[in-house]
Amino acid sequence: MPTVPILMPQLGESIAEAIIIRLAVAVGDPVRADQEIIEVETNKAVMGVTTLCNGVVSELRVQEGVSYSVGSLLGLLEVTAEEVARTGVDTFESLEAKRSASQTECPARTEANLHFALDGDDDYEEAPAVVPSVKGLPVPTGTMGAHYISPRMRARMDDMGLREADISAVAGTGAGGRVTVEDLERFLAYLEAWPSTHASSMRLAVADAMRRSWTRPLATVGFPVVMDRLLEHRRTHSPKPGLTLYMLRAFALALAENPTTAGYLIGDKVVHPRSFDIGVAVQIDDGVLVPVMRKIDQKKLVDLISEYDDLVVRARRRRVTEEECSGGIATVTNFGTFGLTLGTPIPLPNETLILGIGAGVKKPVWSSQVEAFLPATVAEIFLTFDHRVVDGGGAGVLLSRVSELLQTPEAL
Amino acid sequence: MSVTYIDAIREAQETLLRDDPRVFLYGQDIATFGGAFKATKGLSEMFPNRVFDCPISEDAMIGMAVGAAIEGMRPIIEMQFADFSSIAFNQIVNQAATHYYRTGMPIPITVRLPSGGTPGSGPFHSQSMEGIYSQYPGLIVLTPASVSDAYHMLIDAVKLDDPVIFCEHKFLYRWLKAKSINGDHLPIGQARIIRSGKHATVVAYSAMVHEAVRAAERLQQDGWEIEVVDLRSVKPLDIDTVLASVARTGRLLAVGEAFPWGGVTAEVISRVTEEGFHLLDAPPQRLNARDTPVPYHPKLWAAHRPTPESICQALRKLLAF
Amino acid sequence: MDLHPITDGVTKSREFLRSAFHSMLYARIMENKLSSLYKAGKIVGGVYLGRGQEAVSATLGTALVQGKDIFAPLIRDQAGRTAFGEPPIDCIRTYLGSIEGPMRGRDGNIHRGRPADGMPAMISHLGAQVSLVAGMLFARRLLGTLGDSVGATCIGDGAASTGAFHEGLNLAAVEKLPMVLIIANNQFAYSTPNNRQFACADLVERARGYGINGFSLDGTDLMACTSVINEAIRLAREGQGPQLVVARLLRLSGHGEHDDGFYVPTDVRNGHYGRDCIELAMRQLVENGIASLDEIRAWQDQISDDVQRAVAQAQQEAAPDPYHDDWTALSTRFPLPNNQPAALPVLS
Repeated sequence: MPTVPILMPQLGESIAEAIIIRLAVAVGDPVRADQEIIEVETNKAVMGVTTLCNGVVSELRVQEGVSYSVGSLLGLLEVTAEEVARTGVDTFESLEAKRSASQTECPARTEANLHFALDGDDDYEEAPAVVPSVKGLPVPTGTMGAHYISPRMRARMDDMGLREADISAVAGTGAGGRVTVEDLERFLAYLEAWPSTHASSMRLAVADAMRRSWTRPLATVGFPVVMDRLLEHRRTHSPKPGLTLYMLRAFALALAENPTTAGYLIGDKVVHPRSFDIGVAVQIDDGVLVPVMRKIDQKKLVDLISEYDDLVVRARRRRVTEEECSGGIATVTNFGTFGLTLGTPIPLPNETLILGIGAGVKKPVWSSQVEAFLPATVAEIFLTFDHRVVDGGGAGVLLSRVSELLQTPEAL
Repeated sequence: MSVTYIDAIREAQETLLRDDPRVFLYGQDIATFGGAFKATKGLSEMFPNRVFDCPISEDAMIGMAVGAAIEGMRPIIEMQFADFSSIAFNQIVNQAATHYYRTGMPIPITVRLPSGGTPGSGPFHSQSMEGIYSQYPGLIVLTPASVSDAYHMLIDAVKLDDPVIFCEHKFLYRWLKAKSINGDHLPIGQARIIRSGKHATVVAYSAMVHEAVRAAERLQQDGWEIEVVDLRSVKPLDIDTVLASVARTGRLLAVGEAFPWGGVTAEVISRVTEEGFHLLDAPPQRLNARDTPVPYHPKLWAAHRPTPESICQALRKLLAF
Repeated sequence: MDLHPITDGVTKSREFLRSAFHSMLYARIMENKLSSLYKAGKIVGGVYLGRGQEAVSATLGTALVQGKDIFAPLIRDQAGRTAFGEPPIDCIRTYLGSIEGPMRGRDGNIHRGRPADGMPAMISHLGAQVSLVAGMLFARRLLGTLGDSVGATCIGDGAASTGAFHEGLNLAAVEKLPMVLIIANNQFAYSTPNNRQFACADLVERARGYGINGFSLDGTDLMACTSVINEAIRLAREGQGPQLVVARLLRLSGHGEHDDGFYVPTDVRNGHYGRDCIELAMRQLVENGIASLDEIRAWQDQISDDVQRAVAQAQQEAAPDPYHDDWTALSTRFPLPNNQPAALPVLS
């Protein structure tokens, strides 16, 4: 009796393989056409592999929990000749015959690795187009697209000290919209007519850090904080703790409770914080410095005041060392000092998180206790995170915890 | 009055025989008959005992030439067709090519290879062997594309102290004509930019230079300015001239008539990507013959080798990148 | 004892035999040393001995005149090389890879020569030297310097199966060149016996097909070698074209020192050609009063000393330096100067 192969389907455009989660049938089981018989999981979804026709499972060549590439032979159905004729399916025998005819030169393939070509007969009438591929799968040519920079273009940009971000304004005329050297030169000639100055080294340093950070998928979430208790707490202390210091302390405590959130992804590895050292963004002339406060989770707020004040004062005078500005796991920035209520700060390239706070605004806030709107000072806090490491939910949990801590300042 | 490519080769040999008593010619049917392509016509009468017919023994012809060179002669060996030099392969690459490195004594022999395809020549009278010989250390491999180069390069080849594989193109023999053999006489080992341009560089040699120029002329009608570099000598390879051209154009297409696997075009592209990656604005392209024996039927033959059409097509693809 | 009659003048023969035998002895002692150096790990690659072939090779080398004739030795021609005048230090230096040797460490062992002195360096591809020697002779004829010089080369029974052998010998015959080609039929090409190498009774039969003279002789007998090879050379010098000499003998070693020759059957080993040509020649010389045993012992001692000194010297010499090698296989240095004449105006 003819057999029909059960093949690993292409479950999604960029899927190369899938894991067998469950075999819903066993050898000997009768199956109907279109029955889901094998449950597989890709990195996107769980799906069922269906049958092409009625038959009996005669062979299963796979194990649960193992991943198989697209096109792999998972098993065989025994199918009557009438059913084959009815459904027009390719039998294993006919596919094998075709395959051995087209690949006589490499017959030594193992069965486990059987791989059926998806396309039919070779056609050499037209010169075959080159299909760029990764592990045998077609790659959309668009991946070259606007972001492809030729070696010559790269060399010219290096000569000029230009980065990809610098040419973002240039509309490319090359293949896939890529920017050619000619495009760049036209753009630079056009800019000649505009006034320009030299960027300071501080500006260039910030630009470089932001450009590198921006290569990651960054997302920002916000959460409100009622500031009144914090402001009261601050007023009653001498010396007065800086507002940002509350943020540093609350952030450190929240992170210490859930340190993986601050992990740093490199390749297939997440690097975890060794110590809760957090930087504070200090605006200076034409740039930003980020000195780092050490082991904030281990000291009370009041014990951090003098260290914090000293660091910020020195930073404003650009008197902090490089060492003092390195080793942080996250950063805090207070753009509320500029009167801004909303912002999406960008983390340093070597950090996953940055926490920002906007200016406090008097607002009516509903109190369920007294069943009325009460006047309160409300500020929004924002967390920008590397979405490769943290998801919206994790960021939200972290942010609401920070908010909670800021609203119980005596605990800090 | 015009001079053909084959006239230039005959003239060069006459000049060499006249000017240098160490030169003699050895090959099949080259004496009274004047050679299968008449490259030695009349020379045996002009120079008695200097032009010899030899047995059909390509291996022995080269072994003999190496022996004669050891004794101070400068033999010119005519292979009736480049294809038959495969019989002499051992003597060329193992005897002649290794001799200077091993013993310190150079072997000044010149092996003339009537190369490349003509319509109807088929698998065994059409081959281009320059890539194979270039692979071996100790050989100089020349591929003249013009009448004046055919003359001057053959004279220069015989004057060199090292073994030279002189690849003459059979298609050019009678098809290519010039007013005279006067030319700019560049030294061996130097490429020539024969057409200047700014949009792409085509590197070619031998008959393919002419096909490349035709392709460039067609593309000029569309406003493309294509630079054409004639390698002249494939070994040594004048990579400096190629790089200088690619620096101007940012795009490279290497065209050769030999089979596609490896060879001169692959070497050009490999060297340019190694030494001039930063000059490239598009992936460099190669165009060679197809990966089959050279077919007999003129229609198949014309589609087997690069043509102005296929060069244009390759250039358009390159220019569109 | 089947002594071959001495047909040449007695005095000349005495000197010839003493000289040839001395070269045989030299080759044997030097090669024994090379074998020992190989087995001690001093020589890389391989060591190839001429053991059993010394009589043929030494006779040829002695009969040729260095500075006039051409000798293209092959793998088992140490005796011929020594007889022809190759300095023994050339051999030791090449095996040890000394920068001072003729091949300067670029080639090794038997792949050496001094082509400018009429002794080309062999390549491994068998039969290739036949046409090369023909070319050297052809060039001399064209240059008018041939005179009565001859060119000789030796090859084995295996190389006689190559196309190059045929092409080269045929070409030499067509050109009627004064070439002496000696086939040392040592019965085994590496491990392949004669019956898997050729189908004729004796390779000398081939001479007829090429239209040249052929000689067949017992290569273990110095006397036979002396008379036949000298005759062949004489005919070549006289202008009678190529001469083919087939010497029957047995290789008394493996193909190289990595090979023990186990495939040589015992009866062949113990048969007629298994006898040692040096022992036989020694007896012949002593019994004919050509050399005394004492004399021969003194030669042996002298040669052993010479060889030991050469080994000591070559071992102390510098090896080639990869950092200072010019790494070029061409004598021409590119780029060549561009000395083209000023462009002339084109008149039309």
